Amino acid sequence: MAVKHIRGSEIASVTSPEGKLALVDFSAVWCAPCKMLDPVLKKVSDELGDKVDFFHVDVDESPEASSRFGIRGVPTMVIFHNGQEIDRLVGFRDKNSLKKHLENLVDSKLA
Amino acid sequence: MDFKTGIIGSGTSVGGDVDLLIAGGGPAALAAALYAARYGIDHVVIESYQPGGQAALTALIENYPGIMEIAGGDLAEKMKEQAEKWGGVFRMETVTSTTSREEDLVEVKTDSAVYNAKYLIIATGAAPAKLGVPGEDKFYGRGVSYCATCDAPFFKNKRVMVVGGGDSAVKESLHLADFASHLTVVHRRNKFRAEPYLGKKLLSCDNCDVMWNTTVKSIEGGDGVEAVVLNTPDGETRVEVDGVFVYVGRRPSTEPFRELVDLNPDGTVKTVNVVHTSRKNVLAAGDVTDNELRQVVTAVADGARAAAAVFDLMQQEGDV
Repeated sequence: MAVKHIRGSEIASVTSPEGKLALVDFSAVWCAPCKMLDPVLKKVSDELGDKVDFFHVDVDESPEASSRFGIRGVPTMVIFHNGQEIDRLVGFRDKNSLKKHLENLVDSKLA
Repeated sequence: MDFKTGIIGSGTSVGGDVDLLIAGGGPAALAAALYAARYGIDHVVIESYQPGGQAALTALIENYPGIMEIAGGDLAEKMKEQAEKWGGVFRMETVTSTTSREEDLVEVKTDSAVYNAKYLIIATGAAPAKLGVPGEDKFYGRGVSYCATCDAPFFKNKRVMVVGGGDSAVKESLHLADFASHLTVVHRRNKFRAEPYLGKKLLSCDNCDVMWNTTVKSIEGGDGVEAVVLNTPDGETRVEVDGVFVYVGRRPSTEPFRELVDLNPDGTVKTVNVVHTSRKNVLAAGDVTDNELRQVVTAVADGARAAAAVFDLMQQEGDV
């Protein structure tokens, strides 16, 4: 699976996937931890892609969406279920902790 | 056991036997990788936590000899490129535990593999320390930040507070002052611990003020940070701000090594002669150690010393 780049205006249309969660990663090209998080997201999307859809939003490209979601730091990962925000993670996460966190959310929301 | 064959695969994480495992991804680890590669030591770097370390989160480094000024992230990338050019082997995994069942062998478990390393260099660095006040966790990512380089652009023309008085606090204050409408620096002492040059530069900043002998009591707000309650020499006061950047020290990332080597009460690795630990085949380098000066230049020096020490030990053992 891949992490799909979207614009802020597309968020509403991608955060209600059937039987899955959606993760939107708000990031910026000038942010070092965001660059570090990219390969982690790719790996986790490879392993959990059947349960979670992964998206990138560039905060400079989509400032209105960043403002709408109250983003004041990057990277911020907002996780959705049925279009509603159920959790958010701020800052870099290593693969293991991100995967475990998402698996717990999958268990609690999709069981 | 053949340590010379270097059975670490390229591409997927397979673990296995390796002469030297370098845990960490900051300047100390990158320098250790460069030197290990040039010494021809079979090695692998496990980039746990944040590759580039704290240096990658530093807006501007202007005290690294030979380079007038450079963004921390750019310097870390160049260091990694240089190590890779000489044959540095990197894996993006997280070290979860270490044990030593045999005197001359360290078992390193990561989130996806198990390595048996003849030598280990601990260079996992440190993470930002928290203030530990009400509101800090609640507003993390909603106005509370530990990374001005990452988050300063969100505070353009807004009121910002920086807590701390060391090099990081003052350097990042100078970066934030370029974005914020007003910057308040809160420091618990009556003078900065930072380099005097940096302190003078901050004190001459037009849109900055400093509150000395002051500590944070709590952080308040609604959807995001709205104010900080402070304990000042004149009593409690509430300052309205949109963001709080915390630079009050660092917590060494030594948890996976707690059972392996002796640690100090503050969690740093006890060292002798800069890079040697309580275990002969385990070295330590950079911010994770108890060496006092914590700069990029000292971290890379530690990394180089640690790799050289491994090379010396390998020569003594007849391994090279």
